Order: sequence, then C-alpha cells, then structure tokens
Amino acid sequence: MAISAPIGLKAAFLEAARTKSGLAATAMLGFLILLAVLVPLLVPFDVVRQWSNPGQWSDNPKLVPPEWSEVFTGKRQPRTVIIPPAGQSGGFDHVRVSFEVQGQNYTIVVLKQSFDFQADAFPSEISLYMTTMFGSKSPLVRSWLTRPDGQEVQLFEDTPSLRASNVSQFRPADVITYSLTYPSFKDPSYQVYANVKQWLISNNVTTSGEWGELFPSPTGFYSNPPKAQVLLMAQLNHSMLDPRTAQVLKGKYSIKFEVDGFSSVDDANARAVVFGTVYGLIGTDDQRRDLLIALLWGAPVALAFGLAGALATVLIQTILGAISGWYGGAVDELVQRTADFYLIIPTLPILILIGILYRPSLILILFILVVFGVVGATTKVTRSIVLQVKEEQFIEAARSYGASRGRILFRYILPRVMPYTFALIALTVPAFIFLEASLSFLGLGDPNLPTWGQLLGNAYGAGPAIFYTFWWWVFFPAAGIIFTTVAFALLGYAFDKVLNPRLREQ
Amino acid sequence: MGVVWHLAKRAIFLVITFILAIYATVVIANGGGRVDQILKDQIYTDLKQQYARNPAFQRLPPQEQARQFNISYNSIIEAQGLNEPFFQKSFRYTFNALQLNLGRATQLHSSDLSMRVSDIIFERLPRSLVLFTVANVVAAVFGIWLGLWMARKALSAFDRGMTVLSVTTFVVPPWVYGILFILIFAYVFKVFPAGGLTSVPPLPPSPLILAFPPLIAAGLLGAGYVVYARLRSKYRLVGFGILGAGAALLLVWGLVLPADYFKDMEWHMILPAAAVAFSVFGSWSYTTRNLVLQVMDEDFVFAARAKGLKERDVLSRYVLRAASPPIVTSLALTLAAAWTGAIITETVFQYPGLGLLFYEAISLFDAPVVIGLTTVYALLLVVTVFLLDVTYSLLDPRIKALRR
Repeated sequence: MAISAPIGLKAAFLEAARTKSGLAATAMLGFLILLAVLVPLLVPFDVVRQWSNPGQWSDNPKLVPPEWSEVFTGKRQPRTVIIPPAGQSGGFDHVRVSFEVQGQNYTIVVLKQSFDFQADAFPSEISLYMTTMFGSKSPLVRSWLTRPDGQEVQLFEDTPSLRASNVSQFRPADVITYSLTYPSFKDPSYQVYANVKQWLISNNVTTSGEWGELFPSPTGFYSNPPKAQVLLMAQLNHSMLDPRTAQVLKGKYSIKFEVDGFSSVDDANARAVVFGTVYGLIGTDDQRRDLLIALLWGAPVALAFGLAGALATVLIQTILGAISGWYGGAVDELVQRTADFYLIIPTLPILILIGILYRPSLILILFILVVFGVVGATTKVTRSIVLQVKEEQFIEAARSYGASRGRILFRYILPRVMPYTFALIALTVPAFIFLEASLSFLGLGDPNLPTWGQLLGNAYGAGPAIFYTFWWWVFFPAAGIIFTTVAFALLGYAFDKVLNPRLREQ
Repeated sequence: MGVVWHLAKRAIFLVITFILAIYATVVIANGGGRVDQILKDQIYTDLKQQYARNPAFQRLPPQEQARQFNISYNSIIEAQGLNEPFFQKSFRYTFNALQLNLGRATQLHSSDLSMRVSDIIFERLPRSLVLFTVANVVAAVFGIWLGLWMARKALSAFDRGMTVLSVTTFVVPPWVYGILFILIFAYVFKVFPAGGLTSVPPLPPSPLILAFPPLIAAGLLGAGYVVYARLRSKYRLVGFGILGAGAALLLVWGLVLPADYFKDMEWHMILPAAAVAFSVFGSWSYTTRNLVLQVMDEDFVFAARAKGLKERDVLSRYVLRAASPPIVTSLALTLAAAWTGAIITETVFQYPGLGLLFYEAISLFDAPVVIGLTTVYALLLVVTVFLLDVTYSLLDPRIKALRR
C-alpha cells in the first residue's frame, strides 16, 4: 500500500464523507444507526425475548406474505379478524338464561358475533376457542356459522366431560372449566368437515357418491381437498368443490355458540380468529411470528456485532503488526509465523465445531471470532506500512531527542497508521456480520436472539423444497444483510480513495 | 547460498507450522477430548437399552448384571480406543495424519460404503475441485480483464460504476448470492435446478465426449474474441466466424442435445458456480485496477510510452508483468482454498462436495474425517505457499540480491 502525505483521522473522515460513495455510505449507515436507536423504543426487548415462545404468536396467520403483496396478485386479500371474548369491545354478545323446570335447573348461553368479509380470497384458517363452566352434568355445546346468503351451517357439537383430557381445571362447588378449541379448519377428519359435507348434500351441491370420489376417506390420499373454510365461505354452487374455481361469498358472516347446560352455574365464553392470507409489512414465518420484529431487531444486533468484532480484531492486528514492523527481529518472526499458522488452521470448521459442542451465546461467538482473528491480513498490511514509516525523518527526530521505542510506537507511528486502520475496520465489519450469519444459518447461532442469519437459517431449515416459495422469509433478511454490508464496503472504499491518492487523481 | 538458506529456513518454519496446525486441529476436532466423552455416553445408553430389552439378562441377579454390563461396555470402549487418555491419543492421531494415514471414519461412508477416510475424500474431491476451480478461474479471468479495462478508462463513469459494483459485490459471500440466485433462477424463472449434483433419479450416462461441448464452446468464444479484437482487421471476419461457431455449439448443447448425466451435472453446477464467481470477481477487478494504476505511474512505463509503444502493448508487456506477483499469489491461494470447497455454499446448494462433507463430519463428530480433510487442505496450502516462495526467490531481484 502506498503511503500518502500524512493525513489525520478527522481529515480523512471528512474527506471520505465528501466523496459520492462516502456520501452514500454515510446515508446508509445513518439510516441503520437511526434504526438501531429507534428499534428498541418501537419494539421493546420484551417482545423479542418472546421470539422462541410459540404461544405468543398464535393469533397471526401462518406463513403469509406481507400485506402489500396483494398489489401483485391484484386480488384483495383478507386480513386477520379477531373476535374477542364477551366483555371486550367488539367481542361476542353474551346472553345467558337460567330457569327451572320440575325441580331441574337449566341454563342456556348464546354467544354471537358477526364479521364483515369483503376480500377476494378465502381466509387461511379459522380458529374457534371456547371455555365452558359447568356443574356436575356436562352441557351440550354447539356452534354455527351463518352466511350472508342466509344459510346456517353447524360447525360442531360436543359434550365437554366426555373428553376428560381437555378438562383443564376443577373449581370448587363442582364447577368445571372446559376449553374447546377448533383451530385450523383444514383437516378433513374434523367433525366440522362432516357437517359441511352433510350441509352440501342437503343443498344438492354434491352427492355422497361424488364427494367420496373427489375426496376419498381420510385414510386414503387426497387430491387437493378443499379446506373447510373454503367450502364454508364460498358461493353455494358446484364450482365451490374445487378451491381453484370457488368464488368467495362476500358479506356479513356470523358465528354463534350455544351451550345447553343442566345446572344453574353453567356459563361460557368464546373467541374466534379468522386468519388472513397477508400480514404486516414483512409477513410471517412458519411459527406465525411477525418477521418485521426480527428484521428490525436484526439491525442493532448486526451493527453491534460487526462493529465490536471488527474494532477488536483490527485494532489488535494493527498493534501486533506495528510491533512486528517496529521492533523487528525475534518479535517480528514470532508474529509472522503466528500469521502463517492462522492461515493454515481452518477457522470456519472450528467455529462450527465449537458451535455444535457448546451452543455459545452471541457474546461468546464474538469472543471466539476475535481470538481467531488476532493476526491476519491487517497485521501484514500494518507491518509493511510501519516498515516504510520507520525510515521517515520525524521518527529519526523523535529518536534523536531520546524518545523511548514504546513512546515512538504509540505516539508517532500508530497515529500515522490509524486512518488505514479505520478503512480496514469498515471493510472488516461485513466479514463479521457474515460469519455470524453463517453460523446462524447452520442453526448454531444464539437461539434467544433473532438475527438476519437466523431468519435465513430458519427458513432453510423448514425444508429446501418449500424454502423459496416463501420469498418474503428469504428475501428481506438477505436484503438486510446485504444493505448493511454494502454500506460498510462503500465507507471502506471511500476511505481507501482518500488514503490512496493515486486511486483518486491521475 | 543466500537463496538456499532463505528457502531452507522457510521450509523448516512451514513444516513446524504444518505440524502445529495439524495438532491443533486434532485437539479441536475432538473437542479437547469432549467428543470422546460424548461417544462413551452414547455407547453407554445404547448398551443399557439393549440390555433392558433382553429378558434373559433381566433374570440375572443384579451383581451378575453389572458385571456382564461392564465387560461388554469395556470391550466396546477398548475396541474403539476410547479408554486411552485423549492426551496420548492426540499425538498418535497427529503422527498418523502427518504420514497421510487418514484411517477410518466413525460414521460417514462413501457411496460404495467404504469407510476409509481417503476413499470418502477422494469421492467428493473431484466435485468440489471442478466446481470451485472453474468458478474461481472464470471469476479471476473476468475480474482481471475488467480491472485492466477499468484502469485504462480510470475515473470515467464506467470505471466509477464498476468500482462501486466490485467493492459492493465482493464483501457478500457466495452463499448469500446462492440463496438469491436459487430464489430468482430456480423458483421464479425455473431455468436452473435448485441444488444437488444431478437429478434424482440420475439420468443415464452418455459417452464422456458429450460432457465437453460447453468447454469447447467457451474455448471457441474466447479464441474468437481474441482473433476479433487483437488481430489485424482483415482477420476480423474469421474471429466473427469462430465466435459464431462457439455460440452455435453452446446453443446446440443447451437446447438440442438430449439431457444426459453429464449435461445434467453441468446444469446443476451453473448456479453455484455463478454464485461463487459473482462474489469473487469484484476483488479481482478492484485489486487489478489499483495495482495497474499504481504501476502506471512508474518511470519505466513512462519510458515505454515515450518509446512510442502502443497503449495495449504497454499495458500487457510492462504494466501487467509488474503487477502480476500479487495477482499470482492470490490466485494460487484462492485455488488452494478451492480444494476444500465451501461449507455453506455447498450446504445451500446441497452439493455433495468436500464442504458439505466437512459439515456432515462435524455435525456427526466424525473426527477422523475432519482431521483428514484439514490435513489434506493444510498440506496443499503449505505446498502452495512454499512453491510461491520458491518462485519469488527465483524472480524477485531483492531476494536474488542476498546471493551476493
């Protein structure tokens, strides 16, 4: 590397920021730093801590693209509709009547709420949650869906106590709380499915024989079976049997639950989620997590990791290189041979091995990376710069008035080398970001913190065959990594231009 | 005397470094003995379960059960050499590795079920070698050519644009491009397979000769370009003809020739090779450009220009020759590194080369394979570094000067 006229760190910074690429880099980095500062305020860390907790995300649709993607399909995609329990605003209307006939207590609870559905596509899933409280005898629980065309379809019918495993809690005074969940109306073996079939046959849409032919018994293989929510929300004609031709019936739907209880204590509450086919700005992953959160949090994590790693390694390497060049002799030989040694040992395989054996946290990964980077390319570059600087007159001057070797190294030589060091730091940050991403991609990253590499790894881990169909899951983390590293590369390049005047002017 | 002494010193240092690096790998690949403990625990649990399922064993009195269990456990431990302290074993492993006696894998095997580490490695080696050598050479040739062109048009819009492109592409590793390329070319446009070595089930092989059309076409295209651009204008038509022939051959290979094993394999290699080349060419073009610009300022270039030489001759005979040592060094090191394949790139493409083997071996704690791979790689690297040293000592006047 050619040595230019001495240039201070601040001057180098200012001049680098004035070039076009420096300007672009400053803008990109400014955006990232702003993001890194704002993200913890916008999305509290508590939310991110829940990242690996699947229960936290159950109200999001599974594996759906971002909301704006409907621009490409040209169809209006449904958003997720949540009908909260009775007692909350917009929740189920709750009517409870208790009466006594011939010494026997009866209670009837009706929960009802409607939602407007105007999208051009069917919801991805429907989940119904119900909690029932009852006395010694189990009640009859039923549920219906009323369609805009006036049709009423029974969804399920159940008597809670018969399924003891679902009884979640015993209360005093013989009151039993029972939770009933009908998530994912897509499994044809559900009772819902049988009810839908009966309803279709009674409306002459299909016959039992045709149904059996189209969708053989649950033990056989299905040929693209329609999901229950497609049948439930399609226009009532023969085309609804094929999900490709089924037309959405738009309008007001209502969900009704009825509990017929045999005591005076019976009560019930319910909740319903009609899952959309799009979500948020970035979409969701296979565990229904909002990818936007991880994508945003990836920025501060990547910045901190990359900067800390690059700063530590480059500074250590610079100082070692300077010592090696300045003192020469045995010290020089030792540093150079260590560099040879580091060149030969395979760093990435060793890191992977450590990752598998110890499952390190992000901090530990950083530490290991720094240990494996104490000598390297920067040592050699710094050494060669120091060898040239060594011969200059200001060093001789310093020596002549009796400055110690250490003082000359730290007060005269290192400041001279620093601008190059900063260029190298900017160029090393991408390497650290990608090393972390590589480890996370292989599933060896910190499991508690979502990073961009981890998102890619999760997506890849979900299976190569389905990996790429969910483009939003792959594209945005990759774009985030590339954006950040390109910003640092441009900054390094801008520095390089300032420090290597031959590249600047002819 | 000077050169010989210098080379001998280098050789001794390199051998010591090599031994140390192999020893470090042996220790690390075994997790400092931790892997032994994992394997022991695994054998213990397996044996317990095996005995728990055995009714005859259950009827024995407890002391007898314990005795029998210990006998079989110890014999298995001994048979696998797990009773020996790791410290002792590490020296034996290192010594074996240094003799290139790579031993047997503990878990992995080659496709013909051989568990010899050398068989496993040599089955995978050609795949990584072909893929990464081709990709790196293509990237290097293209990058150097682009770098020269950029240096000639230094500070023009083309130069600036290409510099920014080079600087920003080479910081991103190939596997990230791999993911994006697969997304674009395999899933959106469906023109290339997403990964693997061949289609499953594999297509029938055809005569080996059919494996070469792309190479021949590439050669024709290159030769055609040289004839077209470098020779006097009356040969230009010939150059055009050769270019056309190359393009036609490529077209025939791509569209007309039936799919067979080799074509299928080449088809599968295009995306990974493109990803590697795309991530690598930038560093070549940027380095070449800067080196050439530095050399162009030297007096001898000025003198050559003053002699009235053509700019092209100045560039190829004076500038490029002076700028070549660093380029040769990094090309040699890149090619040596290409032998190990690339762990994550091969994982992304599910390409069964040495990189994927490395990953499989690490995740199965198959220490002999890890050690074997590292040994082969380190040996190659040491030999490359030494050969570079020899070349420089013969070429570099500063080292020659030591002789006096």
